[in-house]
Amino acid sequence: MINTIAYGLTIGAILFIISIGLSLTFGTMRIVNFAHGLVYTIGAYLIVSVLPIVRNNFILGAIIAVLAVIPISYVIERFVIRKLYGVSIDYAIIATYAVALIGIDAIKWIWGASPIPLSDPVGIDVHFFGITLPLYRLIIIILALVIFFALSVFFKKTMVGKIVVAALDDKDAVRSLGISVDKYFTYVFVIGSSLAALGGVLYAPITSVHPYMGMMVLLVSFAVVIVGGLGNIKGTFISAFVLGMVMAITGRFWGPAAETMVFVVMAIVLIFKPIEV
Amino acid sequence: MSIQSSNGLKSFRDILFIAAGFLVIMPVLGINRTTDFIIFSIFVMGFNILYGFMGRLSFGHMLYLGCGAYGMTLFTEHVSRNPFLAVIAGICAGVLVGAILGPIVVRTTGACFALINLAFNQIGYFLAVVAFSKYTGGEDGMSVSFSKFGFIDFSNKPFKFGFVLFCLLLTYYLLRKLTSSPYGVLIKSIKENETRVKFLGYNTFVYKWITFIISTALSAFAGALSMLNYGYVTPSFIDPSRAVEVIFAALIGGAGSLYGSIIGGVIYMAISNYLASYIPRWEMFLGFTLLIVVFRFRTGVWGYVSEKFNGRTKAMPVRTL
Repeated sequence: MINTIAYGLTIGAILFIISIGLSLTFGTMRIVNFAHGLVYTIGAYLIVSVLPIVRNNFILGAIIAVLAVIPISYVIERFVIRKLYGVSIDYAIIATYAVALIGIDAIKWIWGASPIPLSDPVGIDVHFFGITLPLYRLIIIILALVIFFALSVFFKKTMVGKIVVAALDDKDAVRSLGISVDKYFTYVFVIGSSLAALGGVLYAPITSVHPYMGMMVLLVSFAVVIVGGLGNIKGTFISAFVLGMVMAITGRFWGPAAETMVFVVMAIVLIFKPIEV
Repeated sequence: MSIQSSNGLKSFRDILFIAAGFLVIMPVLGINRTTDFIIFSIFVMGFNILYGFMGRLSFGHMLYLGCGAYGMTLFTEHVSRNPFLAVIAGICAGVLVGAILGPIVVRTTGACFALINLAFNQIGYFLAVVAFSKYTGGEDGMSVSFSKFGFIDFSNKPFKFGFVLFCLLLTYYLLRKLTSSPYGVLIKSIKENETRVKFLGYNTFVYKWITFIISTALSAFAGALSMLNYGYVTPSFIDPSRAVEVIFAALIGGAGSLYGSIIGGVIYMAISNYLASYIPRWEMFLGFTLLIVVFRFRTGVWGYVSEKFNGRTKAMPVRTL
């Protein structure tokens, strides 16, 4: 049972890291960003390619992979997302899905369609309370906590963070103060995409890397965002860990039902608390 | 009176035109593929009544197609092998699911509507493929066979083609009537501004629910017809990751137009069937096509064509800036 909880915490941590970006773009720009799953997949593929170059130094590889995603996400923001501000949400969904389609095909072109396995970069197990847990998973959980606190400070203390929080609440009011909201949205988008890429990098050694890995994770992180509330860091944090737990516990009793259970929770939340978009 | 008859004449002309179009492309594409294209066009029309006319984008319409497919398969397996009764059973399955999910789904709009449909589609996929795999055959699927009555034989390809084409024309005719009726005007008004429709004293909830059921019923109809065509049900008929296909088709053809739905259905199927063998990177091509459609041609192919040629059947953009 403790093992199940530990597994749930790992999934929750990764879900949190991935979902923040989605939550922020959904909350600030009112865009359902299907390209988010693409960025996650690119992160995972980059770590696969970069590792042999940096002689299997995972930390250096992860940093390079996350930094390399920044220009890619900037291009997506500049040429697609920015043109979708204020447009009907349907077009935003379709356009970002088209971007994801292009990206996935490009990945298949460059890396091929077959899954690539990746070994655990730490490879050490820790023993405590009578259970065995790979140290790598423990690091992921700690990293998620660090990111959560860092983002909380970022949105409370820094000017950029404060403007974004204000824009989440009332975009027009912020704009009327003479602040170029769109510029800050670009920052938010790039931060969110980098975190998604980090999620992909971290998850790559646990699962195998394949072109469609982003899509399923994306659907689950939509559920996280909706359960947690749009643009709500704390809500996303809690809901990611709760849904991670739901997945782990369901998976323990009935493996194939794990991901479906997340959608059951999401449907229930939507029934009782429909989001106004 | 004169408007009535001219409308009737117009829809008669349209039906002849559509039938002629499919009869022309039939020898080019082959009878199997054309039957497939026609069925997909029915699905696109069913989707478009919800998306193009009422402005609700569903991201999980495969669920309703799957309901028709699985409903029909289970009916032939356990009740009767009569193909017509089985198609009706498939439609009933779609209506039932639409009626149950409707009150939950139609209260929402925009992204929420899209995602809640997606959630239900995921749940439906799981139920059909994993939870009830004992009855549905799970990942392997199961085959369907029908009894024959004289000349009514669904293993005969030309007969199947004729029947499916008749179904398409019937669907087109009924939807044409429906969308040009006061009810059709009302659902278009719900798309434009629901609050105002409410102010006029209409209970919009009921209209949205009915439209949703019509859409699910037509999707289930398309699912049931695919069973007539393939004679085999697989999880791909309810797979949520295929839900985007119908969205693309509706958008390429022109959302909010029945003609556009049929054209979009044919174009999308042509891209996914043929382009894949000529261009290895056809998904990328499709992605760029969609971006161009979203940013440049919001009214789709049919909207563009009808604008150029003095706009007889105006396709409406879903919602402009």
